[in-house]
Amino acid sequence: MCPPDVNSIESARPTGQAPGARTVPSALSMTPQPTAKPEVAIAIDKFSLWYGKNQALHEVTLGINARSTTAIIGPSGCGKSTLLRAVNRMHEVNPGTRMEGKIELFGRDLYAPEVDPTVVRRRVGMVFQKSNPFPTMSIRDNVLVGLKLNGITDKVLLSQRLEECLKLAALWDEVKDHLKRPGTSLSGGQQQRLCIARAIAMRPEVLLMDEPCSALDPIATAKIEELIQQLSSQFTIVIVTHSMQQAARVSDFTAFMYLGKLVEADTTDKIFSNPANKQTEAYITGRFG
Amino acid sequence: MPQSQHILTSFDAALAKLLDDLHAMASLAQRSLANSRTSLIDGNPDAAKASIADDDEIDQFEIDVTQDSTFLLTRFQPLASDLRQVVSAMRLCGDIERVADQAVNVARKARKLDRARVALYRDPLAAMYDLASTLFADALKAHTERDETLARGIKERDRAVDALNAEITELATEALTRDAQNVRDHLNVILIARHIERIGDHAKNIAENAIYAASDVDVRHQKSAPPSA
Repeated sequence: MCPPDVNSIESARPTGQAPGARTVPSALSMTPQPTAKPEVAIAIDKFSLWYGKNQALHEVTLGINARSTTAIIGPSGCGKSTLLRAVNRMHEVNPGTRMEGKIELFGRDLYAPEVDPTVVRRRVGMVFQKSNPFPTMSIRDNVLVGLKLNGITDKVLLSQRLEECLKLAALWDEVKDHLKRPGTSLSGGQQQRLCIARAIAMRPEVLLMDEPCSALDPIATAKIEELIQQLSSQFTIVIVTHSMQQAARVSDFTAFMYLGKLVEADTTDKIFSNPANKQTEAYITGRFG
Repeated sequence: MPQSQHILTSFDAALAKLLDDLHAMASLAQRSLANSRTSLIDGNPDAAKASIADDDEIDQFEIDVTQDSTFLLTRFQPLASDLRQVVSAMRLCGDIERVADQAVNVARKARKLDRARVALYRDPLAAMYDLASTLFADALKAHTERDETLARGIKERDRAVDALNAEITELATEALTRDAQNVRDHLNVILIARHIERIGDHAKNIAENAIYAASDVDVRHQKSAPPSA
């Protein structure tokens, strides 16, 4: 079997918009939203999920705009990580998991029978709570492992992609002279940025981040947050976080979930200044018991 | 289930202290205003003294409220309605302090006026002072009770204060040409009217702040709709 061509794993990102162009205001901007309708990258429609008999998600409907950052907030057990993983089809490995409803990525049903989950995971990258570089691999191999597994052997291309991804992950200057050292030799914050570099090496359209800073100190957290803001001009980022301040700093849109239901989703400015729903207000102001 | 109390009782306590200080400051400013009015309209020098005496305490309240607000922001990073309460408290204490300054300015000038010579201004000044004081009280009430309707009416009501200011200034300007030997008295009346007019302006600011605190809508610097034909 021939190895797949590099183009086969290239991003399916629509070409209508130049990289870097944003369709929504940044989290810090108080300017009104542009009137042009932003492109929806992920369309979640009446999506429900059960772990055995336990229903974790109840008919969640949410549109996630392309090339922006959307934060999902809510108390523990509200279903935010479950929803995030559903976008990556990660629940299929859990026996007894059942789903209803639809999740579309740029108009394509992620759960359609003909769709290969591994292709979904190439297009939808994931960064986890705890950094998880492959312990036996070097920094270089950690970034390039996905490409190599997909049969890419062109050394020039691999070197280019390595530098490109480490620069995008704001890690290049710190590791460029030590690329053969183990990924686990890096600090916690560097390891998490290495995992981000690994995720974007596959040029996904979407980056899912499940509490990516919860194990990091404030400096490392700030670097990841800065990175998220940089990457959101090129990727659609969905971040689950327990930190309200982090959601306010990095995201353009925020969704609040409670008991497996989507309570409210709006611009981050709106959610954190004057949410429409009383439950949202109670949660973000710390009056939720 | 949503609760009215914050999970952190220390936050509720800090916010309650901030609002208590703000209310105490506003009460002092209202007392200073009332004494200032008595000194102006009734020519009572003790009332002028009392108005001036309150100013130091009001200034200290402004410092305390600003510091407490900064502490709250730093320590608790409040959001949504909590954040608006703290931000509006910081803005409000500045306006209350300026109102008290205007009361002191009026009281100081009132002591210098020749009562007989400025008798013709007594009624319009009393009307203007009462109107501005009522605006101030209503703006504070709108803020405390989050009464957006009351707050939204204050900008329009402030126009009556502006009109009385124009009327008194006109009267005093005419008097200046007739009574050039007593320029100082007539000039002081013009300045007093200006101070009272500023009280109305601060009431308007407080009302705008009340709207922000209640509904996150910023109505500052908005042009009024032209009167309908």
